[in-house]
Amino acid sequence: MRYLARPLLRRWLSLSPQHVPGQLSPSEGGVLSPKQSSLRQSCSARPGLVTATDMVNHWQKVFETNGIPEARESSQYIVSFVLGAKTFQSLNSKSLCTPLTEMQQEQIQQLSRKRLERMPVQYVLGEWDFQDLTLKMRPPVFIPRPETEDLVSLVVEEESQKCANSGLSIPVPVPHPVILEIGCGSGAIALSLLCKLPQSQVIAVDKEKAAVDLTRENAHRLQLQERIHIIHQDVSHSSAKQFLLWGPIDVIVSNPPYVFHEDMASLDAEILRYEDLDALDGGDDGMSVIKTILALAPSLLKDSGSVFLEVDPRHPNMVEHWLHAHPDLLLTLRAIHKDFCGKPRFLHIQKQSR
Amino acid sequence: MNVPRLFHFTSFLREFPAWPRWGLRKQQLSLPSIPLFQAARRRNHLDLLSLDEAELKEQFVRGDGPGGQATNKTNNCVVLKHIPSGIVVKCHQTRSVEKNRKIAREILQEKVDLFYKGEDSDVFKEKKALEKKKQEKKRRAKENLERKKLFKEMQQLDKK
Repeated sequence: MRYLARPLLRRWLSLSPQHVPGQLSPSEGGVLSPKQSSLRQSCSARPGLVTATDMVNHWQKVFETNGIPEARESSQYIVSFVLGAKTFQSLNSKSLCTPLTEMQQEQIQQLSRKRLERMPVQYVLGEWDFQDLTLKMRPPVFIPRPETEDLVSLVVEEESQKCANSGLSIPVPVPHPVILEIGCGSGAIALSLLCKLPQSQVIAVDKEKAAVDLTRENAHRLQLQERIHIIHQDVSHSSAKQFLLWGPIDVIVSNPPYVFHEDMASLDAEILRYEDLDALDGGDDGMSVIKTILALAPSLLKDSGSVFLEVDPRHPNMVEHWLHAHPDLLLTLRAIHKDFCGKPRFLHIQKQSR
Repeated sequence: MNVPRLFHFTSFLREFPAWPRWGLRKQQLSLPSIPLFQAARRRNHLDLLSLDEAELKEQFVRGDGPGGQATNKTNNCVVLKHIPSGIVVKCHQTRSVEKNRKIAREILQEKVDLFYKGEDSDVFKEKKALEKKKQEKKRRAKENLERKKLFKEMQQLDKK
């Protein structure tokens, strides 16, 4: 693999000890090898103070040379992260001009090395944001996609409207919706819902132990562990009653694997090398898990309960046809919502009340 | 109408990235039946003109790919344009697309209000008040410094 980083980086990053506070000089027991220290000395004539902007530009070039996609964005996220910020744009001008310490540069280099292996930025940083939450990320647990933020908003809106539409003149206690998430991954959807619907409870299911563990970890970090029940289970091999321990379900929400099997091979290396492919592969028509969920839904849902799904843009019609072919399920496709790129992405399916 | 040039709109417009590889996704934001975005009528204590979603054009650097699960793009930058005034806001302040969209609307709302109302805008008035406070603080600090200097000089004279 072409790797420009080392020689260029060493030169670029060499600093004369007196300029950067807190940097070990060889006499203080630093761990510089003879080669490194001579490089440093040869560059001490150059007042090479390295700023955040310098680092971003440097690593962007390295990533570009090595064919890493989103070279600039990756470099910006890594540098910002080391400086304690979420994005480069959020750094103030002072941070941008302040020289970076040796430790910060070292950290940036370590993280960038991982990115050079096509590791997704979210795994490199070990965290990512979803709506208002910062969640831990760990391979191979599926990384939440930005489109899915709107899926959460749809569920919140539906539950909020329910309260509004009760329309009774006598005050009613605020309902405590029980939400079931199938395929919780890192816990993004489940935990966001718990935050936005303070009265809700969530049952989160995933067939992968790694996902269950990560969701639990994120729940604890956000102090939401009391309101979430995390179950390690494969819904294809489950009966409904395991999920009914907290009563019938108000909403089922899922971002199930929905990639068409034939499309799997053309996914980016970031995805193929690091993410759990079972979280993506939906079988020949991308609908294998979708069908499982819809088949299970009627025995889980209250009357007029809803299923919210994120799907491939080709699925809305396919799901509609499938529901017509299975009228015994008593499920109707109520709405199709677009994502922020204008693609049909979210399905709202409702259980008919008898 | 006098549009004050107090603000540098470019503070939020870093250099426009070259997006030849991704292409641009120009989206007319159509209002879904459930409004996921409602530009606030009142932003905190400021009384600002409300933005009409139909007059906004939003762009994301997402490329023409399938999106959703099939991609893992981290660029969450939102570019929001107010068509009637031509004002553009670029927001990449957070790692959440939804939050960036929200913040972009808040910033755009302020700029649009300023554009149409000029000095009558609450945005202008608030900024002016802050500037004034800052100047006052500077002036007082300067005065204090001079007073101390004078005091020291007088002490020196007394010693002699």
